[in-house]
Order: sequence, then structure tokens, then C-alpha cells
Amino acid sequence: MDLFLQQLFNGLALGATYGMFALGFGLVFATMGILNVAHGTFATWGALIALYAVAGMGLPFIPGLILGVVGAGLLGVLVDQIAFEPLRRRDAGLLGPIITSIGMWIILGALAQIATNSTARRFPIGTFPERLFEIGPLRLELVQIVNIAVALALAITLYLFMERSRFGSAIRAVGFDANSAAISGVNPRIVIYVTAFLASAVAAIAGILSGLATNNVSFTLGEGLLLKGFAAVVVGGFGDVRGAMVGGMIIGVSEVLGAQYISNSFRDAITFGLLLLFLVLRPRGIFSELQYSRA
Amino acid sequence: MRLAPWLSTFEFGLVHALFALSTFAALWSGVLSLAAVSFGAVAGFGYVAMSGDGQMPLVLGLLVGAGLGGAIAFVCAMAFLRLSSHYLAMATIALVLITRVFVINLGDLTGGASGTSLTRQSEWWWLVIVVALVAYVFERLRSSRFGLAVECVREDPDVAASLGIDPRHIQRISFVLSGAIGGVGGVLFADLLRYIGPNTYYVDLAFVMLASVVLGGAYHWAGAIAGALIFTALPELLGEFLDRGQDIANGVILIVIMLYLPRGVIDPARRRRGVAAPPPGAGDRAEVAA
Repeated sequence: MDLFLQQLFNGLALGATYGMFALGFGLVFATMGILNVAHGTFATWGALIALYAVAGMGLPFIPGLILGVVGAGLLGVLVDQIAFEPLRRRDAGLLGPIITSIGMWIILGALAQIATNSTARRFPIGTFPERLFEIGPLRLELVQIVNIAVALALAITLYLFMERSRFGSAIRAVGFDANSAAISGVNPRIVIYVTAFLASAVAAIAGILSGLATNNVSFTLGEGLLLKGFAAVVVGGFGDVRGAMVGGMIIGVSEVLGAQYISNSFRDAITFGLLLLFLVLRPRGIFSELQYSRA
Repeated sequence: MRLAPWLSTFEFGLVHALFALSTFAALWSGVLSLAAVSFGAVAGFGYVAMSGDGQMPLVLGLLVGAGLGGAIAFVCAMAFLRLSSHYLAMATIALVLITRVFVINLGDLTGGASGTSLTRQSEWWWLVIVVALVAYVFERLRSSRFGLAVECVREDPDVAASLGIDPRHIQRISFVLSGAIGGVGGVLFADLLRYIGPNTYYVDLAFVMLASVVLGGAYHWAGAIAGALIFTALPELLGEFLDRGQDIANGVILIVIMLYLPRGVIDPARRRRGVAAPPPGAGDRAEVAA
């Protein structure tokens, strides 16, 4: 039982990272209809910028985090303007943005490989306090607790922002139909800037925290997050913030528990099996009834 | 400029062309599928597993590969084709991801994480013949009643249905065709690499193959071949001038082509009408909304 609870906690902490990444990935898909393959590289670049700020420039962790997040956010806007905006103008459907995002994925991945010299690094020891809390039989690492707390805080903030604020309704309106939104006084251009920035900034937070939790920052960091985040979004349901977070938690928990109790080598099979199962049986995910997306 | 590396590039281009043709076969009927490499994986590993210690003759291997690829594609078609376009594309991505996990874990059959080495059996002209054969099949299909039906389904499934064409059936056939071609490509890819492993057929290749089809032109089979050859040769060509960063150049070219030549290098409509036709996938959104 103790082992089960411990692994459940580990799974939730891992799932929190997936969920965080899925928040941004799902947001872009739900509002802009773009399946952005390059989204993982935002997490990579956010982590790399933060790593450079901390290890190279000697900044403390929090300013480094902010630099990484803002940098990745701006990168997201840049990618959107180069690769997606021209297609949006001529309404290129599903295939066009996938192809240009593959292009961006190749470019940003190759640049990250060059920047890191293909070697894995880590945040310097002491960047983030390593504390261990023991609650009964459970051993909770501070990084894990922070992971879960940040993920929940982000999800709740983003949910309230999307559902309750005026700007959130504007984002949903543009996602539903940019022209009608423009007629009712929404500026689609600003909405798209903000959405692209938010989505990639959140990906960067996920990337940095995942780099901290695993003590590993490499140019492939984003790929793992992309695949798991993709699974999380499908399981939870596109277009709903809660779906992304719940989906991420489900993926994380089933991955850790599956590795513990079923087979360690099949842990990815469990994740992707869930993904395929949901796609075939319930393609709109758990929170499907609350859809506001066009997908 | 030496010739030997170019022959090798040409060979890889031809095998990539088979994967691209497999992707094209599905895209022809309006199904965005990345599963070509998965079909290739099933066929490639089937070929290796059935060969046992010795190696089966390549011709037999190609037939087995086509059969295995087609069979697995048929199963997938049953499960996937009722999904709408976004989810269908994602399901094929999921298939590629899962295939790798199975390859790693079915070590007895597949050689597991370290893979298996092979001896090469094909010559470059083998590849030319196979690609030419597949191209011939497409050319015959294109001008047949089936070809008309396929293009009708792609342009508008509802109109096709009202004309007495069953879109699901047409898509199922083209999916199986995609599986068979992908299977042949998978066997030849393993043969050409002299090696087969879990990362041989993975998402990177799947995405690049889809990109090749769009680069070359998604409206004619020749586009798939041209795209695959261009996309394989470009990094080598640029490698003569650049030390590194061929990948980056590839990505840039992909984006530039998509933005400025959205219907690809080979576009029958441009020749026919001389006017800009809508870019690929422009109708997707209406279909999704429906």
C-alpha cells in the first residue's frame, strides 16, 4: 500500500508536467486548429534559455525561469507569424500548418542540437533547493510538490482566464470564427499573438520543471513532452483546460503504475495504448461535452 | 564530385519514394495518414523474422511485405476510417508511436532495442523497377473508374456518396493500397540499410515522408516520387557547401514551398488550367465542421 501511494504520487508529479505541456498544446489546437508538431521545441528552448541564464550568466533560478519562459513565448509568436499566419490568411486547412510546423520542428530541433553540442546537461546543483519531505511512509521531493502545485495553479488560472475573462471569450470567439469575432469588435491579430505567446510560455514552464525534476536538459527534452502531451490532450479532450490537466495526470499515473505493476518495458505501450483506445472509442476525450473548439 | 555517394543517395531517394507513394495513396482519397512507416515496420520485421537464420529471396520478401502491410492496413482501416480527419491523422501518429514500443519489446521476433543486421540483396536497378511498377499501377488506376471515384471522394465525400460511390469503401481500398506499398518500401528500406531496428521506422521518417509528398505535389503520383527524391538529395547537395545545418536548410525549404507553392512542385491542375487552384486540404475544415 505504501508503495502504491508513493508511486501514485510519483505518477501525479510526472503527469503534472505532461498536463502543463498539454495545456498550451491543446490551447493552440482548440483555438487555432493547428496541430503544432513544433510545440515540443518551445519546451526545449525554454529550458535551454533558462539553463544558459542560470549556468552561463549566473542568475538565480527565478529570473532564469522568467527569461526562459518569456524567450520561449516570443519564439512561439515568431513561429506563428512565420509559419502559420500566411496560411491562416488563405485558409489552408489542416495539412498546411502541419507541414510548416514540421519544418519549424526540424529547424528548431537542429538549432537546439547545435546549441547544446548534442550533449545532455543539467541545472547546476543548488539551483533549486533539494528538500525531501517525509509524510508517514511517503517521501515527497520538493521538485515534485512544486511540479504539482504549479501545474494546478496554471490550469486553474488558465481555466478562469478562458472561461471568465473578456479576453478569454475573445480567444474562444476567434477560435470559433475569426471573421465574426472581428465584426463584433475583437482584434484577431492581438488574440493570436497572445494565444501563441501563452501556449509556448506554458510549454517552457513544463520544459524547465521537467529538466529540474529529471536533472537532464538536452535537445530532445521537448520530444518526450510532445508525445506524452499529445496523448494527454487526446485522453482529456481538446479545447478544455481541465481535460488537458486530467489527461496529463492519467497518462503520468498510468505510466508509473504500469511500470511498477505490469511491465517496466511496456510503460510507453500503456501510454500510447491509452491514446489509441481513446482515439478509436472516444475521440473527443473525457471532457468532450464542453467543447468550444472547431475541431 | 564522386559518383558512389550519389548512387547511394539515389537509392535512398527511391525507397523514400515508396513511403511517399504509400502516403500519397491514402492522401489521394483524402485520408491524411502518417502510418506508411508503420506498415513498413510490420513488413520489414516480418521479412526479417520469417527469414530466420538464412535470408529469404528478396522477391518473396517483397511479396510477403506487401501482403503484411496490406493486411495490417486493412485492420487499421476498420478501426480508424470512421474518425474525422484530425482524429484520423492523430490515430495514425499514435500507431507509429506504438509500433516502436512493440518492436522494442517483442525482442524474440524483432531483435529488440539493438535491432538486427542483414545482408543486402537488392541492386539499385531493383529499386528503380519496383518504383516504376508502383508508378505504373498508379497511372493505370488514375485513368480508371476507380481513379475517378477516388478523386471525387477526395474533393467532396458527400457529393461522391450522392453519386453512388461509397467514400468509406474507396478510402478503405486506398488505405490497403497504402499499406501494401508501405510494406514493399519497408522491406527494401531494411535491405538497403542492411539493418533494422526500433528507430528505423519512426515519427521523424513519417513526418519527412508526408512533407515529401506535399513538397512534390499531393495531386499526382509523380509528385510523391519527385518530392522524395528532392528531399533526399537536397541535404547531400547542400552538404557540399555547408558543414552543418543541412537539416535547417531542409526545414526552411519545407516552409518556403508550403507558403509559396502550396500545391507542390508537380501540379496537374496548374498545367491543365493555368490558374491557381485551392491549396491541399482547403476543404478539410468544412468536412470537420460537418
